[in-house]
Amino acid sequence: MINSWLTQKDQTYVKPRSWLASIHIDGFLFLGLLLLLTTGLITIYSASGGDLNVTKHHAIRILIALGLMVAFAQIPPRKLALITPWVFLLGILMLIAVIVFGDMGKGAQRWLDLGFIRFQPSEIMKLALPMMLAWLFAYSRYPAHPARYIVGLFIVGLTAGLIVIQPDLGTSILIAMSGLFVLFFAGLPWKMIIGALVSLAIAIPIVWNFLHGYQKQRVLTFLDPESDPLGAGYHIIQSKIAIGSGGLEGKGFMGSTQAHLDFLPESTTDFIFSVFAEEFGLIGVILLLTLYSLVLLRGLYIAYRAKEPFNRLVAASLTMTLFVYISVNIGMVSGLLPVVGLPLPLISYGGSSMVTLMISFGILMSIHTHKKLLSN
Amino acid sequence: MILVIFMVFMTLIARMTYLQWFNHEKYLSRADGNRISVQTLPPQRGHIFDRNQVLLAGSVSNYKLSFRRENIIQFDSTFEQLKTLFPEIESSLLDEFSQTLRRTPRHRDLALPYSLTEKQAAIFAAQRFRFPGVTLQAQLKRTYPLESSGVHFLGYVGRISQNDLQRLDARRYRGTEVTGKIGIERAYEDRLHGYPGLQTVESNAQGRVVRILDTIAPKQGENITLTIDSRLQRFIEEKLGDRRAAVVAISPLNGEILALVSTPTYDPNLFVDGINHTNYNALINNPNKPLINRAIRGQYPPGSTTKPFVALGALEQGAITMTERIFDPGYFEFQGHRYRNWRRQGHGWTDLKRSIVESVDTFYYKMSLDIGIDGLNSMLSPFGFGERTGIDIPGEASGILPSQEWKRATHGEPWYRGETIIASIGQGYNLVTPIQLAQATAILANRGRIIQPHLLKSENSDIQNFIDPTSELDRSDQIPIRSRNHWEYVIQGMIDSVHTPRGTAWNAGRHINDYQIAGKTGTAQVFSLHDTDFNADELDPRLHSHSLFIAFAPASNPKIAIAVIAENAGSGGRVAAPIAIETIDYYLKELDKP
Repeated sequence: MINSWLTQKDQTYVKPRSWLASIHIDGFLFLGLLLLLTTGLITIYSASGGDLNVTKHHAIRILIALGLMVAFAQIPPRKLALITPWVFLLGILMLIAVIVFGDMGKGAQRWLDLGFIRFQPSEIMKLALPMMLAWLFAYSRYPAHPARYIVGLFIVGLTAGLIVIQPDLGTSILIAMSGLFVLFFAGLPWKMIIGALVSLAIAIPIVWNFLHGYQKQRVLTFLDPESDPLGAGYHIIQSKIAIGSGGLEGKGFMGSTQAHLDFLPESTTDFIFSVFAEEFGLIGVILLLTLYSLVLLRGLYIAYRAKEPFNRLVAASLTMTLFVYISVNIGMVSGLLPVVGLPLPLISYGGSSMVTLMISFGILMSIHTHKKLLSN
Repeated sequence: MILVIFMVFMTLIARMTYLQWFNHEKYLSRADGNRISVQTLPPQRGHIFDRNQVLLAGSVSNYKLSFRRENIIQFDSTFEQLKTLFPEIESSLLDEFSQTLRRTPRHRDLALPYSLTEKQAAIFAAQRFRFPGVTLQAQLKRTYPLESSGVHFLGYVGRISQNDLQRLDARRYRGTEVTGKIGIERAYEDRLHGYPGLQTVESNAQGRVVRILDTIAPKQGENITLTIDSRLQRFIEEKLGDRRAAVVAISPLNGEILALVSTPTYDPNLFVDGINHTNYNALINNPNKPLINRAIRGQYPPGSTTKPFVALGALEQGAITMTERIFDPGYFEFQGHRYRNWRRQGHGWTDLKRSIVESVDTFYYKMSLDIGIDGLNSMLSPFGFGERTGIDIPGEASGILPSQEWKRATHGEPWYRGETIIASIGQGYNLVTPIQLAQATAILANRGRIIQPHLLKSENSDIQNFIDPTSELDRSDQIPIRSRNHWEYVIQGMIDSVHTPRGTAWNAGRHINDYQIAGKTGTAQVFSLHDTDFNADELDPRLHSHSLFIAFAPASNPKIAIAVIAENAGSGGRVAAPIAIETIDYYLKELDKP
């Protein structure tokens, strides 16, 4: 069945319902994204202390990312499925290359310098791993043979392992989670889930010994941030102060004293949610989460409407990956989770993660619009 | 899945509610607590007084405009309005400052580098409501009440530069904008600066101080008293006018420097706020180079002022006796070369005393060949020639006292005897600084007791600290004396040069009757014309000889020793001697009273 899908010829379609659909844009998703990106831009303007340069850079990145999203939306899902294994393989090779030739940045070998461009291969894996797993399970009966799950787990483990070596514990955990989501959607038996959790519990003490000092410190600080108020706990404490002092209604736009008086570190990137919460209060936070929910629900709806298993798995896992990123970032800055370097999707300053994210939305739109036209 | 998303988001909202609703007060007060900060209170800089407690450097309170970017509503119009309000502030300064301010963090205060007078401050205070984000800030500014007088020893303070930061203790200079750049201000920076205090303050959301919680008062810098007599200093400066010259007057009793003059001078007040380009270029491009401290950095051929020292050395070393006479035909011939006397027709039969009184060059030409250059060197070096005196301000030059070894080391050539001949009258390689010459004169006045020239007036234990450890001169000592008569004989020659009609300084000193001055003129050739005749008036003024004079008085019981060097002013008797003698007279009659 899948093979016949893959080898289908492109059809000429009956007239699309709207001009947006004709360029494979999902209007609902697009509107939600625009609202979130605008929120991000406004918050960055405030968090940077009204720095127009920073804001301008971010605006330019948004435009580039939107362009990439539209571009990827034009690629039929079938074509994506065809190249998925190759992209994944390339990603793995680049991860190995990072470890071997990696450019030292901030004491970690996360960057690959190709001379004309420097980028993080782990960003590619944020898309390539869920798609690879979707590819793996899309061509089998449901539920798949247990061997496939073993292969899937191995793929997840290999990718996460290569990233953790860099070392980038946070990204590695998140990528592993997004991979496990696909396995779960693909019908991973509960027995294996429990087995995985048990082996994880066993692995923790072993992994602990392999952790870098600062990583151990992060975990310890997470357990008791006040123990090191000027060191590792500083971020969490200042972030909680920022959020808490925002109150119900917030201090208003540009009113973040925590960020403006330089108490809050990384206020435009990982901790931008704290600035948002300080300025717009609980009401703003609830509105933001509602907005995120609408985007996530639309993603899940796209997955639900997708007919092909590959499309369905990809849409669901990309959506859930976004969900994981949102909840981990907010959980982290509010002191519920350990601090891992992770931006708030669609809001934080920074190019590469936004590009990855917008490409994933492009893929979602492609899945939705192409399917729709096919069904006509 | 929807359920998972719902539950997780609800957990997050619950967490936010916990932080933002139930613990809002707690975190709000902690956010305020974040704004409690420690400020540094800069210390007041110590004052500098002269020996009679006349203020040379003090502090005046004035005002600065302090800007905070986050509170400025209309950036451009704020500066436009300031330009209209204070047309006297250069608009380029304001433009430059507004650019700097744009790059400064929003909540940080930045002060305009311009000091407002009381009147300007009042004008601004009345218009304050038009300038949100701009505040008046009272501060203490260094001031030099005597303006250009004494700038070369006093020095000045200026804005702390990158270079300064490398040698200064950053913690001690927190909140301080200026530091001593040269002169006394630099040399005694450590004492003058003091120690900053601390103030714990609570700031409001805009960062403005709302409450002072705790204060540790700053420790004011030490006041220091100098050996300078500012009246004498000013007297000399007025005598010299715009002439390029240097005068150093020392008390031979203890090495206290009574006046250290270098002209032309300039106003140190220009530097305190940071000197502007126009003024700085005017100083830099002035052909008379007012910024150079000629008194300690200027190096000049000593000319005939070395004669008393050479004469004394020759007597003490037995190269000549007090009665021996030499015939001067007006020149001295050696190896087919004629070394001319300054008086063409010669002085005839001359003894050593007369060679000092009339400054007979030929006498020294002849005598020096017996002594040799190393002999001359050993006679002059005990007086400190060729060595830094170790005066307690930075930048002193060492001068040159040549020897065979010196020439081999610096020029890689052997010493020629012809060079000994010109060295004997202080020409050739010889170079002295005015401070060296004054020190040597004071030692001569003391009959060999060595003194250390210094500017800080305080106990001896203090003075020991700033003696240049590299200096070879043993300052606590006395030059060994073989015969006291030799000293008195030479000094008598110097007295006669001022007080007898044949003396080279007779014209300058003839009106001094109630005490005796011992002096010696010097005319240092800048340009050697050998045997050709020339008309001095047609010569470029820069090639005219330097006019020198050294003196001490009263000769029997010296209270002041002085060295005067006037660049390109011709013979020593004409310019330098009158200045020195008038200065001595003024000091002894008007100032040196118990």
